[in-house]
Amino acid sequence: MTPVTAHRARPARASRRRFSVTSPPWLFAAPALVVYAVVVLYPAVSGVVYAFTDWSGIGEDMSFVGLAQFRTLLGDEQALGSIVNTLLLTVAIVVVQNAVGLLLALGVHVRLRSRALLRVVFFAPVVVSPVMVAFLWKYLYNPDPSSGLNGLLGVRVDWLGDPSVALWSIAGMVIWQNAGYSMVIFLAGLEGVPPELHEAAKIDGAGTWQRFRFVTWPLLAPALTINLMLSTIGGLKLFDQVFAATNGGPGYATETLSTVLYKQAFVFGKFGYSTAIALVLALFVAAVSLVQVYYLRSREVTA
Amino acid sequence: MTDLLHDARVSRGQFLRMMGGLGAAAFATACSTRPQTSTPSGGGQATTELKFIGVSDQKTPMDQLVAAYRQAKPAVRITASYAPTDQVQTSVRTQLGAGNAPDLHVVYPGSGSAMSMSQIAEAGLLADLSAQAWTRTIPEGFRPAFQLDGKTYIYSAGSSVIGAVYNKKAFEQAGVEAPPTTWSEFLSVCDRLKKAGVVPIALGAQTPWVTQLITYALVPSTVYAKDPSFDDKQLAGQASFAQSGWREAMEMYLELQKRGFFNDNPNGTTFEQQTSMVATGKAAMAVQVSAVLPDFRKAASTPDDLSMFPVPGADDAAGVWIPAGVVVGLGAGAKGANVEEAKAFIDFLGKQENINAWAKAIAAIPLVQDAASTIDPAVESFLPFTKDRAVPFMDQRWPNAEVQPVHFAVIQELLAGESTIDEALRKMDEAYQK
Amino acid sequence: MKRTFLLEIVMIAVAVAFLFPVYALVSLSLKDPAQISQSPLALPDPPTFANFAEAWTAAALGPSLVNSTVITVVSLVALIALGSFASYFLARVRTRLGYGLYVLFLLGIVLPFQLGMIPLYQLVNDLGLIGTHAGMILFYTGIQLPFTVFLYTGFIRALPREYAAAAQIDGASHLVAFTRVVFPLLRPITGTVLILNAVFIWNDFFTPLVYLGGSGYETVPVSVFAFVGQYVSQHGLVFAGLVLGAVPIVLVFLALQRYVIKGFASGLKG
Repeated sequence: MTPVTAHRARPARASRRRFSVTSPPWLFAAPALVVYAVVVLYPAVSGVVYAFTDWSGIGEDMSFVGLAQFRTLLGDEQALGSIVNTLLLTVAIVVVQNAVGLLLALGVHVRLRSRALLRVVFFAPVVVSPVMVAFLWKYLYNPDPSSGLNGLLGVRVDWLGDPSVALWSIAGMVIWQNAGYSMVIFLAGLEGVPPELHEAAKIDGAGTWQRFRFVTWPLLAPALTINLMLSTIGGLKLFDQVFAATNGGPGYATETLSTVLYKQAFVFGKFGYSTAIALVLALFVAAVSLVQVYYLRSREVTA
Repeated sequence: MTDLLHDARVSRGQFLRMMGGLGAAAFATACSTRPQTSTPSGGGQATTELKFIGVSDQKTPMDQLVAAYRQAKPAVRITASYAPTDQVQTSVRTQLGAGNAPDLHVVYPGSGSAMSMSQIAEAGLLADLSAQAWTRTIPEGFRPAFQLDGKTYIYSAGSSVIGAVYNKKAFEQAGVEAPPTTWSEFLSVCDRLKKAGVVPIALGAQTPWVTQLITYALVPSTVYAKDPSFDDKQLAGQASFAQSGWREAMEMYLELQKRGFFNDNPNGTTFEQQTSMVATGKAAMAVQVSAVLPDFRKAASTPDDLSMFPVPGADDAAGVWIPAGVVVGLGAGAKGANVEEAKAFIDFLGKQENINAWAKAIAAIPLVQDAASTIDPAVESFLPFTKDRAVPFMDQRWPNAEVQPVHFAVIQELLAGESTIDEALRKMDEAYQK
Repeated sequence: MKRTFLLEIVMIAVAVAFLFPVYALVSLSLKDPAQISQSPLALPDPPTFANFAEAWTAAALGPSLVNSTVITVVSLVALIALGSFASYFLARVRTRLGYGLYVLFLLGIVLPFQLGMIPLYQLVNDLGLIGTHAGMILFYTGIQLPFTVFLYTGFIRALPREYAAAAQIDGASHLVAFTRVVFPLLRPITGTVLILNAVFIWNDFFTPLVYLGGSGYETVPVSVFAFVGQYVSQHGLVFAGLVLGAVPIVLVFLALQRYVIKGFASGLKG
């Protein structure tokens, strides 16, 4: 069958006539732009300057060192190693969190009797502060075989202590916390699928899977774009949970770019170097997001 | 272009004013400034507000002493905020960096951390306290923790020691009558505890700072007892971790693991789980700072079961030294509007009765003692050492803040079997020289 | 009918698994330190409400809740007003410059907060807004705008242009067309924007600590985390404070869910 287009859902009156209407005026965007420029753009641009200095983070002493900080980064094994961890963590989070989020959204979108309650339950982890989630999960990740998750599942895993497991334990914790987040955005997308489309598809004889594949899925594209981008950026910048759960350990097994740049700025007193890492991280995330948004937008149904 | 800029030194103050001024000018029309400054109190006397930002471990003694100060000097109000160590470090460094330090804030003794006395004082951001009477009573051995170039910049109420917090009942049940006084006795006590079916030493190495405590407990005996001037030599480049008793201490640490004296999976076990193991008697002891005693006691059903003894790091009882470090303190910002009032509060904290009160609240040994000083009975066995066989926690004399986190990481790697002592000490030496 | 029932069973089972950590949180908040140490995850026996009482008094949770509420509510209103208008423009404008502006906003999601942290603090200080609600509101409005714009723009693009066009043909201005026709249609995403921003602002810990620490205007997380020390932590109390602090957000979410579902249905008919 052919995909049902959004066309049918449009109000009859509007779709019959075609008018070219002017774009909204610039004034609509002006206030937001001013606040954004003051709070985000201007500080970021002036902050970038530190990447070319040797400033410690406090005091008056500062000299310009050109690109020296970036050269240091190229030879910094620890910082480079953290990139691998950051990528692994991001991939795991993006894939699993969105898959779980989508399934939950589809599940609670159906008119179940308990759906209001279920939505609250799945969303509940989102409202707990990330640092606290890490505190809490340290109780669940107790390596003792008789307590926490080990006791519950009947396994013996050294969740946060085994260097080859710790990264995935953090991913699990983050996914638990953020699946509800993805769910909410998918739900907003699902609420936006007009019921008439499903009715029409049913009349055309489409089954559940076909209706999902050809009606729901294409119209979920904006939600999917948003979810994929937000979870990718969130994964690449992930800090709070890693910091509170392992602080990069055991050894350097869970060190991410964000924890490295944090430590350089606030523990080691190398603010200049930390800014250089932050700049590289920003460029990297920006590149990934641009590719993503370009690719995803191209497959969205344009209304 | 970059080469031209390379050696251009700029005043950060000017730089920030320039940048800040730009932004403020662009924004001035959009936003009004806050009108309220200091308001006169009911009595017509102006109230000074002092802002303090500290770590949560300071909350109990500070709450108590701030209230006392309110009685003594009603015209001064101190508003305090507390947060976990890492967050405070970040927030105070941001404020220091932007040139808006709180009047009073947490400062760590010595030189080995980002919020340490030396690093902040070197940047010219701490007020000189040397004129205050209490500073003249700082014991000789502690001076490097308080002073930079002979001037005092930090207040601290006393010291805490590192040793074994042990469960007396667990020791009795295993037939151990007295705490060990030599390393070989220590090993045989562990052996007996193990045979009695109890974990001899709980180790919560998942929590980074816990990893260092066993090395810290041993190094005074393996390094400083043999060469009390080790720190100075290391600073001068004449000594290193790799070529010193640090190697022996690491070997002893790993021997404890090899003999199965730790709980399973120490790298996955947290400080809280460690506490609970000793408090409930599942484990017989934990090598810890005396500052944790209040927490251990709260976790235990019978708090009196818990006591402490010095970890004997040598086979000759006379060669046993202990670590005794100055506890986290506070300093006054050098550039605030209320420097004199802030210093006056610190002077108040320096009174003997207030030193006593602070030390008591955190189970520390008061900086200077008088007849009214109370010392936690659990740390009494350390007192014979504090005079001439005690050394500050090692990081307090390290030249930068990178050595300590490397120490945490290499211990975790050693416990995981993913590194060697050679490799670990090499990494620490590298960090030391940065 | 039977399939719905089966799905309900499955979803409830998943929910129970999801709730386990939440159970742990609540159960820890009902225990004294000795109970936490002996059996952290067992049912509290007997449960103690002392943590809640102490969190309320010792952490001064009452005033903190007021501070958090003021900051969160005003920031949300500003975000939705500024964000939805800007997004409507960004989603509908057809020029290159408009698209460039959209990308410029997206950049805000990408930037690590450390980059502008010190200049921003300096700026807020120069404006005299350190230690005030206004400073925090300005901060959150600016810092969350990119995210808000991102969500709104994505959904407005998917919305047929004809709704607004029809209104304009009937003689309405852009302003009227947006506020009367388009904005009501955005209810599902407005609900999402509202709740996700609310969660972020409500839970944010670091910025309020830097901007409000020691001012007497502390928010809930700042007050609660004061009890997490390196050596001595009062975890029961901290968990209790967090449970209390999370209740308002959960209630808002519950209310919003009903509103959003109803809202969309009526929006379509209108």
